[in-house]
Amino acid sequence: MMDSFLLVLKDGVLSFFLYAVIAVFAQNAIFTRALGVSRLIKLVDDPTMDTLIFSGLLAVIQVISCSLGYFINDFLSARIISLRFFVRPTILLLCTIVAFFVVYVGIMLYSKKFKSKTAHNILKVLPMATFNCCVLGTLLITVTQNYDLLETVSFAIGSSVGYFMAVLLVTEGQRTLKNRNIPQSFKGLPANLIYIGILALAIYGFTGNIPVF
Amino acid sequence: MKKEHVLYFHKNIAVLSRRDRVFLNNPVLIRGIGLAPIVVAATTLNNALVLAVAVILMLTPTRILSAILAKRVKTKYRVLVYALTAGVLYIAVSFILEQIFGLNQLKLLGLYLPLLIVEPLIIKRYVQPKPEKIKAALYKGTVTTLGFLLVLFLVAALREFLAYGTLYGFEIINFQPLPFAKMVAGGFIIVGLVAALWNFLINLFKKYINMEAKKYL
Repeated sequence: MMDSFLLVLKDGVLSFFLYAVIAVFAQNAIFTRALGVSRLIKLVDDPTMDTLIFSGLLAVIQVISCSLGYFINDFLSARIISLRFFVRPTILLLCTIVAFFVVYVGIMLYSKKFKSKTAHNILKVLPMATFNCCVLGTLLITVTQNYDLLETVSFAIGSSVGYFMAVLLVTEGQRTLKNRNIPQSFKGLPANLIYIGILALAIYGFTGNIPVF
Repeated sequence: MKKEHVLYFHKNIAVLSRRDRVFLNNPVLIRGIGLAPIVVAATTLNNALVLAVAVILMLTPTRILSAILAKRVKTKYRVLVYALTAGVLYIAVSFILEQIFGLNQLKLLGLYLPLLIVEPLIIKRYVQPKPEKIKAALYKGTVTTLGFLLVLFLVAALREFLAYGTLYGFEIINFQPLPFAKMVAGGFIIVGLVAALWNFLINLFKKYINMEAKKYL
């Protein structure tokens, strides 16, 4: 009895880490699917935006909305099969809206209790962290690939960790890309895109090219 | 170029650099929005056509409807109006697209068609503190759509030719010059190179206007 419980627990933990690692590296939101790349470009150029706050919010929003998406998808699969393709994205958007309000209320309660100024900064970033391609993209992936709840949660966490790593890599690359020897036409967005492209190639070196759609 | 055109551009270049969303302030190549569908899904002109129709049907209508609905909504909740409007419109747009192109063609775009709902290109206006006027929403929506479509077709044609040696499915050369162009990494690098070329042309244009204007001033 105890052995079988430990075996199930071990499988669960392994599966959790496996899907998280897949989401961080092999299916990185930026390098393999370009999800949220427009936001990333703005994020690395904006010194007022805290990457850690943004990524933390992204992780919380993704975990809540993906978990909701998992249950909603079960409901949709059983009832409106023929219309699923058309209505599913909008219904999943409603999941992100619910996650938005859950986090919003949480931050408001925190700010009232501790009278923290950081809460105001977090609230400013919240809409950008909620309504972006990375959140809806991760939701759509977990739902269309029929992940179970554990896989969904680990993929959501891994996806936001992968996004955070991508932001760090691109921010670090910015220092070199501001070099004077870089031609004027390449400075800014073009250099960033080519840099992300080369990093994406490096990921292929580890995982191979995975068709993304 | 005629004298009056040169002087007009010389006088208004700073304003045009902000307002002209087709060339001088292109949404994709200068402002870096709407990159995901172009970098990943725009591998053929056929895919680009579906995306183009979807953006035409979603961008300006979302902006206009949101401009109407967001007037009495607090700034901090305006993002919900834009996202929900895009979400509801997406249902109607996907039905129309299915009638035009068929479900299999839409499925070729995978995530990138539904992702238009939260694409900054469509909903980014919520970040501005002032609500948008309907006329401005119509004008800016239309020119942003034009700027996006220009880059979408340019990149899709380039990638289809390089990856498959074809254009809209018609064979141009019987080999694949650069199969890597159909990959996401290839998409990033090609869009980066096109953006650099675009910057070069803008700088060239500004230099030309300055030199010509000096003759007349």
